[in-house]
Amino acid sequence: MTAASAGFGASRARTRRSLLREGARRHPRALFGTAVVALAVLAVLAVGFGTVSIAPETTVAIVLHRLLGLDTGATWSAASETIVWDLRIPRVLTAAMVGAALAVAGATFQGLLRNPLADPYVLGTASGAALGAAVALLIPVRIVVVEFGLVHAFAFVGALLAITVVYRLSRLSAWSGMTSLLLTGYAVGSLLAAGLAMAMYLSGATLRQIFAFLLGGFEAATWPRLAIALPLVVVGTAVILWRARVLNGLMLGEEAAAHLGVDVRRERAILLAAGSLVTAAAVAVSGLIGFVGLVVPHVVRLVVGPSARAVLPLSIVVGACLLVLADLGARLLGDIPVGVVSALVGAPFFLFLLRRAQSGYEL
Amino acid sequence: MDASPHPRPRHHPRLGALLAAIVLAVTAAGCGTTESIRITPQPGATGSALPPSTATPEPSPSPAFPVTLVDDEGTEVDIPAEPERIVSLTPATTEILFALGVGDRIVGRVEDITLFPPEAGPIPEVAGFGTVNIEAIVGLEPDLVIAGGNFFTPPDGIERLRSVGLTVLVVYAADVETVFADIELTGRAVGRGDEALALADAIRAEFDAVAAATADLAAPRVFYELDATGAIYGPADESFLAEMIALAGGDPITTGSPDAFEIPLERLIEADPEVILLGDAAYGVTAEAVAARAGWNVMTAVRDGAIRPTEDVIITRPGPRLGEGLRSLALAIHPDLDLPAEGGG
Repeated sequence: MTAASAGFGASRARTRRSLLREGARRHPRALFGTAVVALAVLAVLAVGFGTVSIAPETTVAIVLHRLLGLDTGATWSAASETIVWDLRIPRVLTAAMVGAALAVAGATFQGLLRNPLADPYVLGTASGAALGAAVALLIPVRIVVVEFGLVHAFAFVGALLAITVVYRLSRLSAWSGMTSLLLTGYAVGSLLAAGLAMAMYLSGATLRQIFAFLLGGFEAATWPRLAIALPLVVVGTAVILWRARVLNGLMLGEEAAAHLGVDVRRERAILLAAGSLVTAAAVAVSGLIGFVGLVVPHVVRLVVGPSARAVLPLSIVVGACLLVLADLGARLLGDIPVGVVSALVGAPFFLFLLRRAQSGYEL
Repeated sequence: MDASPHPRPRHHPRLGALLAAIVLAVTAAGCGTTESIRITPQPGATGSALPPSTATPEPSPSPAFPVTLVDDEGTEVDIPAEPERIVSLTPATTEILFALGVGDRIVGRVEDITLFPPEAGPIPEVAGFGTVNIEAIVGLEPDLVIAGGNFFTPPDGIERLRSVGLTVLVVYAADVETVFADIELTGRAVGRGDEALALADAIRAEFDAVAAATADLAAPRVFYELDATGAIYGPADESFLAEMIALAGGDPITTGSPDAFEIPLERLIEADPEVILLGDAAYGVTAEAVAARAGWNVMTAVRDGAIRPTEDVIITRPGPRLGEGLRSLALAIHPDLDLPAEGGG
């Protein structure tokens, strides 16, 4: 192909793409609907495939039987039922929930801190959760806290304690809110990371468990854990969605937001709390899964523009899609870390979108 | 903007600290009261790894099924009938099951880079080192899963397998006595109690033969090198390996920590090993390479050339070849040792 024809093709593609983007900006609902359908398809695929192959009709029969009590006349083994109902479905739903939670939290923190590199873990949540999990693993006996497990409970508490400390400390600083928050988060995070390194050094046989938590994954997903984490994620996400307008205001800068009638300090605290709650719940069930919270909101913004009212709902669905897909890939490739797959799938896609982005991209 | 002092009094930092204190207190209380029981078999107890209170009513060493066993984590495990489909999640368990004649009942096993016996090769792998594929195990429909304790099999995975209704027995041998107990426990779990007792007795006889042969010999200071590619790793104070070295007629040089395996070079030089054993010989470490290491030439073992390779797997794996392992360890420490070829069995 000659350079000229390639250039022509590219420019035509670009025009079509920009039309598509205009369409997306004008019809975010259609896009949202499409994403929901994609999520449903991915979820069905993810329940259908795994290490053990189970016939699709068997899977459907099991789900119908457990969900609606329908008897389709099909028969299946107890093992198949356990695999579909107790292993795969909670796992897929957990992946979707965590993806949604991290994406919405990422979008919130990026808007709140007006920083494109912000992610759900930027304010010390990740280090706090990891240290909490490590401490729980160093305790020599295993205590099951309402099926949630000591590790998950400590990770949850650790994440929330870390963000609380960061927020309190940042308010003592002489600098303006956001800079102080970011730097305090970095400092406290470093301190906690040092604690984590010490815990890992002392851990002996539990080192692998700590390492598994740092990589993240959905092997540990169960119905009870999902049932505990889901309400936290739903409440936090609802609070954030409800404040999408406020987030739009805050993205203009604190002064501008204040002029718009936003009670900056109060709203920032509420959004921080909701974002952190959602993050902590996600981290507690899945460990530290990176990339989703950072990149999904950017991908969504590149497509629908910067308004939080469009970005937040779409981030939820796209985040869920990405992790369901990544977890399916991870399982089929022999249980490799899900974060590796999500980055392998997501990063090239993100770079592709960045390259295609024509208009200036502002957070 | 946000730099002014806070307008209203806040109590929340205290609240946070209080919350943390409560969490810790509850946890500590839990440690003290609920699950801190670790069942350790009594040395010399031959028939059973069970404490008297939970022992099964049958006095026979191989009771009929159903049977209730207490595993190495203190969990009571009900086995309703003789297992026909077994998943083995530790390499030692795989060896024990084959030694007891039930290797053909293993339907899934853990990955093992030094697989033994070779007949285990075709059995599908359902777990790696520190990982476990729950779905694959459930799909095999096993009636018994034998998992590794002390985090060898992820505790979360064990919990998960039990939560979907599988029977899981957890074994972990922190010391030599527990190896015998685990062989007997495994035997009882698969309906081979008598064979397990015989196997344990045969290994004990080899241990006795080594003890008799080394009884009157001076115990040289022995450093057993596990790895020295980066930091130097040797046996921890209370490790299985340190116990084996002592039983083989050596004076083990340990790391100075009950459970950490890293030893500083300074400590090793000060301890001055008379014999250095290369547990990492299988990875290509040679006596010449050890002698060439900076700082090592001051050690007696290096000056005397008493640096010898060992077959690490049989010495450190808590399985049926442990008697053979102790014998080879004794010969590595005392090359001129007069040991009867067939060790008492």
